[in-house]
Amino acid sequence: MGRSRIEDKAYTEPHSIVEVASKTLSSYPHLISVTAVHDEKEKSIELIYTFSDFRGALKNISTRIPEDKKTLPSIASVAPAASIYEQEVSELFGVTFDGNPFTGKRVLLPDCFPNNAHPLLRNVKQEDLEKVVAGCMLGEPQIYVTGSSRYSAESVILLPFGPYHPALKEPERFILVLEGETIVDVIPKIGHVHRGIEKIAEGRTFLQDLFLVERICGICSFIHSWIFTLAVEELLNVKPSKKAEYLRTVIAELERIHSHVLWIGLLGYWTGFESMFMWIWRLREKIMSLLDLLTGNRVHKSFIAFGGVRKDVSDEKLNTVAKTIAEFEKDYKKLIDEIMSYEPLVERIKGIGMYNAEHAIRLGAVGPIIRATGVPYDMRKVEPYGVYDEIDFNVVTGKGGDVFNVTMVRIKEVLESINIIRQCIEKMPRNENPVPKTLVSGVVKEGEVVARTEAPRGELFYYVKAANSRNPHRVKIRTPTLANILLAADILKGYTLSDVPVIITSIDPCFSCMDRVLVVDKNRNNVFFVDFNKLRKESRRAR
Amino acid sequence: MADGQRSEHESFDRRLVRKSPWIFHFNSGGCNGCDIEFVAALTPLYDVERLGAKLVASPKHADVLVVTGPVTLQVAKSLKLIYDQMPEPKYVIAIGTCACSGGIFSGGYTVLGGVEKVIPVTICVPGCPPNPKEIFRALEAIYKGEIKVAGGGCGEEQNRG
Repeated sequence: MGRSRIEDKAYTEPHSIVEVASKTLSSYPHLISVTAVHDEKEKSIELIYTFSDFRGALKNISTRIPEDKKTLPSIASVAPAASIYEQEVSELFGVTFDGNPFTGKRVLLPDCFPNNAHPLLRNVKQEDLEKVVAGCMLGEPQIYVTGSSRYSAESVILLPFGPYHPALKEPERFILVLEGETIVDVIPKIGHVHRGIEKIAEGRTFLQDLFLVERICGICSFIHSWIFTLAVEELLNVKPSKKAEYLRTVIAELERIHSHVLWIGLLGYWTGFESMFMWIWRLREKIMSLLDLLTGNRVHKSFIAFGGVRKDVSDEKLNTVAKTIAEFEKDYKKLIDEIMSYEPLVERIKGIGMYNAEHAIRLGAVGPIIRATGVPYDMRKVEPYGVYDEIDFNVVTGKGGDVFNVTMVRIKEVLESINIIRQCIEKMPRNENPVPKTLVSGVVKEGEVVARTEAPRGELFYYVKAANSRNPHRVKIRTPTLANILLAADILKGYTLSDVPVIITSIDPCFSCMDRVLVVDKNRNNVFFVDFNKLRKESRRAR
Repeated sequence: MADGQRSEHESFDRRLVRKSPWIFHFNSGGCNGCDIEFVAALTPLYDVERLGAKLVASPKHADVLVVTGPVTLQVAKSLKLIYDQMPEPKYVIAIGTCACSGGIFSGGYTVLGGVEKVIPVTICVPGCPPNPKEIFRALEAIYKGEIKVAGGGCGEEQNRG
C-alpha cells in the first residue's frame, strides 16, 4: 500500500480532456498532479492527470500529444489547482496549455534561461544544458516591475517581500499589491531554489537517486527517500521485513515531530515571541539526538535501503528512544500549556488567514491545512503504508481554517506521533534482520508506479517510470508545498501587511521542496521584467 | 600564531568585528538542512550568541555572511549584490558540502556550483549537513582571531590559524 502500479490508465483524446476532467472531478474531486513523460522513440509526450477521491481511490487519465505540435486545452477552468501543475509542464517540456492563466510567463526557470530550452525533454542532453548554464552567468541585477494598467498608481503600493526577507528562511519573492495597509493582490515569483532534480535523477542510477531525492528537503528528508523506496520496491517486487517497516515508521514519526516542533518554534519567531522560539527549539534537540542515535545522522539519515533499512537498531537503543520520548512528551505538554495560555499569542493568530473546506479542496490543499477545516485527509489512514494499519491512532482535525486551527492541528499531531512511536517500539519484532542482503542496483524492468505518503506538510506524490534500464526513465515529484501555495496566496487577500509572514508561513512552506518543480499564482497577468539599464533610462526620462 | 604577531597583522576594525560577529544568513538554493542546523546553532544547546554573534536582518549590518546550498542561476546575482552591500571587513562562511562545491546537485541545469564561483569564501564547513558544533567552531575561529585573510577558498588548510 502507499503505492500502486499504473495499469488502468483511461486514454483520451487531447481535445476532449476538459470534458473528461470535469466528469472525473465529480467523483474524484482532488487533482493530485499533472505528469508529463517524453517518449523519444514515438516522438510524443504523454500527459497523465492523476485524480483521487478522499478515500484512497486513484484515477489516471492519460493523453498523448505529438512532439512537433505540443498544444492542448488547459483544464484550469474546471480544476483551478491544475494551473500550477500545467505551468510546470509547460516550462519544462514546452507544452502549451490553451487557457492557462500563466501562459507566456516565466515562473520556475531562471530569468536568464533561453525561452526555447526545455530541460526535461529526453533529447536535451546534459552537455547542452551545461552550455546554457555557462552562458547564464552574472550580469546586471534584474528589477521586477509590475504593470500599472490594472491598478491606478495613486491608490496602490507595490511592496516587494523577499526573496531575502527576515521572515523567510528560504528565498522566494512575493510582490504585494497594497491599498493602504490592505493586501489586494499577491504576485509570487518563484524558482530561486530550483535545482533541476528531476533531470539529474534521470541521469543517475536508482540507488544513487535514493540519496538524491533525500536531499530535496532537509526537514522532511526521510519521507522522500521512503516514498522513492516504496515505488522502487513495487517495480522490483521486493518486500521488506516487518522489523524494517517498524523502524521506518519510527524514523518517519520522529521526523514529523521534529518538523512540527520546528514550525511551532518559528511561529513564535514570526509573531515576535522569541523566548517561545528558543524554548521550543531547545526541546526539539531531544528528538534530533534520537535521530542521531538511531541513524547516525541528524538531518539526512540515509537510513533506508531498497528492501529494508541499512542497519539494524539494538534493543538498547530502542529503550533509550522510549525513555526519551516519554520525557519529551512531559516537557512538551507543559511548555505548550504555558504558551497557549499566553493570550497575546492566541489573539494574534486567531481568525487570521481564514478559509473553508470547500475553498481548500478547490485549490488542491493537503496536509494539516486541509485537516484544519475538518476534512480527515491523511495518507496514513487513507492508504496505509509502513505499519500504519497495525497501529491505533487518530487523524487530528480542526474546526475551521485559520492560523490558530492549523497550529492546534500540528500541536496535537505531535502527541499522536509520540503515541505511534510508543506502539511501534512495543510491537516491534525483535529477532528479525531488517537489513537486505544486497543493496539492489541494476536493471529495473519496465513499469510505472505512483506512490503517495503523508509527509509532515501533507500528501507527497511520486511517479516513477522504469524502462528496462539502470536509470529511471522519469521521476516526477509533487510536494505538499506546491499543492498548498495557491491557497496561501489566495487567503492573503484582504488581510493587512503585518499578517503576511504569519499567513504565508502557516502552510509551513518548504520552498526547497517546491522549487525543484515550479510554482505560482494566478494573478500574474501584468507582470513583466525590465533590466536595470532600461529602468535607469526610464527613470531619467521621467525626470 | 602568537598573540603579539597577530595584533601587528590584524587591523583595528578587524579586531573590533571578531568579538561581535553579526551574521546575515543567505540560502543560495539549498535543501534547508544546513539552514535548520545553522538556526539550531543559534538556539540554547549550542548558542553561538555567547560569542557575541547575532542574526541580523540586513546585510548592511552584518560582518559574517553565512551561505548554505549550491548557488542556483536565479540567486547568483542576489548573492553578489548582498555580498557587495556588506561593509568591510567581512567574512564568508560556506556551510555544507553543496555550498563548498555544489555537492550532490553538481551538473544540474540551474546549478552554478559552490559559493566560490560567485564570491570569495573565508571558511568552508563541509558536511551534509554539518553538525551545529562544526558551525560553532567556524564562528569560534573568527572569534579567536584564527582567521587571517578573507577569500582563501575552500579546502585550503592555511586559512585556519
